[in-house]
Amino acid sequence: MFTFTQPERQSRIEWFQLLALLGLMAVGVAFIYSATLAFEANALPWYKEAFTRQIVWYVIGTAAGAALCILDYRSLARWSLIIYWITIVALVLVLIPGIGTTHGWGARRWIDLGAFQWQPSEFAKLGFIFAFASFLSRPPDELRIPMNFFKALGMIALPFLLIMKEPDLGSALIFLPMGLVMMFVAGVPARFLRRLLIGVGILVVLFLVDVLFAPPNWQIKVQDYQRRRLLVYFGSDYADKKMTDLQKQAARTLQKNDSYNVDQALISVGSGGMFGKGWTKGTQNALGFLPRAVAHNDFIFSVIAEEKGFMGTALVIALYAVVLFTGIHIAGQARDRLGKLLAVGIVTMLFSHVFINIGMNIRLMPVTGVPLPFLSYGGSSVLCSMIAIGVLQNVNLYRRSY
Amino acid sequence: MLVFDQLNKADKHLRVLSWVVVLGLLVLLGGLWWVQIVRSRQYVEDLRTQSYRTVRVPAPRGKILDRNGVALAENRPTYNISLYLEDRSWRDAVQKRYKQTEAEARKGATAPRKPKVFETLLSHFGYKPALTQPRRLKTEERAQLGRTARFVVTSNIVWQLGEALGQPMALTNESGFHKHYDRRRALPLPLVPNLNADQIARFQEQGTRLPGVDMEVQPLRVYPHTNLAAHVLGYLTRTEESVEDELSFYNYRLPDYRGLSGIEASMDDKLRGRAGAKSVLVNNLGYRQSETVLSPVEAGKNVTLTIDAAIQRVAERELTNAAGAQRPVRGGAVVVDVQTGEIIALASAPLFDPNDWIPFLPMATWNTYTNEDIAPLQNRAIYGNYFPGSTFKILVSLAGLEAGTLVTNENFRIQSPHYVRGHAFKDLASPGEYNFRRAFIKSSNGYFIEQGLRATPERVVEMAQQFGFGRKPGLPLQESPGLLPTRQWVRENRRGWSDVAAGNLSIGQGDLDVTPLQLALAVAAVANGGNILTPQLVASVRAPDELVESDQVRPRPVVRDRVHVSPASLTTVREAMLADVEDPEGTAYKPFHAGDRPHIKTFRVGGKTGTAQVFKGEKFDHWTVWFASWAMTDEPRYAVVVMVDHGTSGGGTCAPVVREIYRALEYREQRLRTAQKEVLAIR
Repeated sequence: MFTFTQPERQSRIEWFQLLALLGLMAVGVAFIYSATLAFEANALPWYKEAFTRQIVWYVIGTAAGAALCILDYRSLARWSLIIYWITIVALVLVLIPGIGTTHGWGARRWIDLGAFQWQPSEFAKLGFIFAFASFLSRPPDELRIPMNFFKALGMIALPFLLIMKEPDLGSALIFLPMGLVMMFVAGVPARFLRRLLIGVGILVVLFLVDVLFAPPNWQIKVQDYQRRRLLVYFGSDYADKKMTDLQKQAARTLQKNDSYNVDQALISVGSGGMFGKGWTKGTQNALGFLPRAVAHNDFIFSVIAEEKGFMGTALVIALYAVVLFTGIHIAGQARDRLGKLLAVGIVTMLFSHVFINIGMNIRLMPVTGVPLPFLSYGGSSVLCSMIAIGVLQNVNLYRRSY
Repeated sequence: MLVFDQLNKADKHLRVLSWVVVLGLLVLLGGLWWVQIVRSRQYVEDLRTQSYRTVRVPAPRGKILDRNGVALAENRPTYNISLYLEDRSWRDAVQKRYKQTEAEARKGATAPRKPKVFETLLSHFGYKPALTQPRRLKTEERAQLGRTARFVVTSNIVWQLGEALGQPMALTNESGFHKHYDRRRALPLPLVPNLNADQIARFQEQGTRLPGVDMEVQPLRVYPHTNLAAHVLGYLTRTEESVEDELSFYNYRLPDYRGLSGIEASMDDKLRGRAGAKSVLVNNLGYRQSETVLSPVEAGKNVTLTIDAAIQRVAERELTNAAGAQRPVRGGAVVVDVQTGEIIALASAPLFDPNDWIPFLPMATWNTYTNEDIAPLQNRAIYGNYFPGSTFKILVSLAGLEAGTLVTNENFRIQSPHYVRGHAFKDLASPGEYNFRRAFIKSSNGYFIEQGLRATPERVVEMAQQFGFGRKPGLPLQESPGLLPTRQWVRENRRGWSDVAAGNLSIGQGDLDVTPLQLALAVAAVANGGNILTPQLVASVRAPDELVESDQVRPRPVVRDRVHVSPASLTTVREAMLADVEDPEGTAYKPFHAGDRPHIKTFRVGGKTGTAQVFKGEKFDHWTVWFASWAMTDEPRYAVVVMVDHGTSGGGTCAPVVREIYRALEYREQRLRTAQKEVLAIR
């Protein structure tokens, strides 16, 4: 393969990354088309179909990403705190019943803007990366001061808790790896991070033990569906020994319903085999076993897996690998801490999404509403991911040679 | 390279990050490998069980044909109206109805609530707030609304269908409907079976616009000649079971039939063919999406019988209308080719209609069919216990001739009644001088009782045994073995032979039962020179698409036994039998002659009448009457035996039936000859 450590004077646009991105977008359009092919109301005119809307979002996303590159990321970073607080305000607004909408899903995650629904948690991630990168780009010595460490923790905790409140556990959890990795790369002392990791670990274990095993009146109040998702993930039996047979039966039925999406996603992925059934030939989605509401967004990967098999999924992972590693390459090439941290934050964010979403399709991860970047249908997700790529390109473009 | 460069970065932090990303992606790749390659088979299996239903599709039953290719049993298309539950318009109608009822139900759905603070305060001043609030519908309530909506929509459709067909209809079986919806959703719901031509026309004109309703065609057994050869053909019953070596597991089965009696039962495995299987692709709601054939239906084989439908029809008609017999006539008739053993006709009266079993037998019909006195389902030609009466004198004659105790020209002076040890045997023949020929054609009881005693009953029974009495002839139908008092039987059931019992034996009564087929085969052996033939009923079994050879090969006779009787004795008996028909003194002369001219011109017919007394306890009950005969041209051709259970006399009741059968055979031979001439002329 050719080498990407180009001479400084050459073009600083990372073409290879854009090429992989183009590949992912093509895959996205193709499989959103396939996933929505069998929609009951398939009388939609072509320009209202999901895949055309997705193309429109790709175009808007590309424009937004390109527009971002007009300004140097250093100038942009000056606005970072303002951006951060704007997103925090949006996250607060979304919780207010009149403003935030539930889409009928139970969680209040969207702000209705008329033409489309805006999901502020997506943009909160970007805002956070900018603000956190500029906060951490101060001299490493300053990062040794505990007060700054606690400030950093606060910056993570604020959006994390607000998004948890929606509730959107998946999106909230993304802030943890982003924050940790950025702090690690910025040079926050290892002992701080070690303590933080241990603390978070203990909390998570306690939380899980409590949710899964504690008697009902000892449990922390979490949304019932969240608890059940965790039960499904850990394969625990809903039925209790103390229950009557009728209750047990009801519990088992409930369990079957709850694990339905995961089970069907697994059947889709598994039945794809090595080469898949062919594009638009997947039955899981066409027959409605894979729920139509999620087939084209959160579970788009299982549609790809069913129709293109292991070859297809390996290709998708390879495309992501290109995007991620060019991102790390950009981080390595950056000549200042701000650029490096921005790139690292973006890479971590994309990687976390990919890992959680694909992991969810093969039962490696619990089901959370985390979209697959560039592939899942949805304006906020696409726009956010494209802007993220724009940030990476920006860092590469305005690299200063000292 | 891109990845490895990052993994070897000088920057420690970025190196760690690269490793994390690489490992993460490898974990995903490994997981995908596990799910998509290693465990793929299991997921494919899961996919199949949740999205396919196998349906057993019965094969069209093979035809049953007569020897000339006339279909005695075949399949006709039946038109049924069914409701296809996966149809969009039906589901839309249900959805609409559901929405309406759900909206109403929501209005009524309230739950109690706590009074608010101001309400509690105001309630002291006589304010009575309604302490309810709207609530969501429970899952069970929704399910119940859905069920009601489905049933109401469907019963409306059925009512409209009734309007279209011009006959009031209602969907009454509500639980049956829900059961079908819950368990057999992938299959259409049958609404109206078996449409007649008028209904088909009405439906095509007005009914097709009804949501989800469509007409389908299914093959169904039909017996085009209704009761013709009903006892040979048998009848069917609906069945659920699988035949061996087909797929044993099905989600659903379509109605299939199994033979319960007759050829339908004995050749069931050939006629039934092999059921096919189709697999129906269903969606997550269980509605049908598409169908694929898993294993094709293999049509049943056609069975060609040796029966000639024309002769069979005449035999049945004449038997049913037999003169001097109690109505309804109960009896049997057999026509056998004496050279080959082919059964040309096998009739039993009264008849029944095997079509009554399709699609299922009504209880009332079953009750008339199982009436003990009439027993229409019994095949009297091969099943039942009947005294042979004087027809048994054929065997007594042969036994005497072979033993040398019967000398044909020896004269006997016979009294009437004839006394044996004080027991009076009635005799229809007048008293006087009798030699063998005269005694045979006038059927003198006294003469043959004497000859039987002379020859000894053991020898008579042994002769009868040689001629096939007392055992099943071997048709693929339910047969009686009859009863023959062999040495062993006598030892076990009687204290040896008394002279009275021996006398009774000689006139075909007492411990003796035969069936018309047994007698016909015995007569055939007399006619063909001593070959006891295995009767043949099935000429060929062929797949429906198999080519039939143009020249019908005459089947080889299957000789079961040769009797140890000298040709001279057989000739003597044959001549006596011919005389019974041809001599004006013979018991069968009158029915075979108009004045002195014979009815049958191309055949010479030999026969023996029989009239047996049947007692109920000590009391006389009825006569079982017979005519056993054979016919020859230049060689012996046919044996025809007719038995009527409540008749008046062999000559008066049975012989005319036999005559009409010979007339039909005569006509058949003529036709065959002209056909042969035509073929020769063409060549």
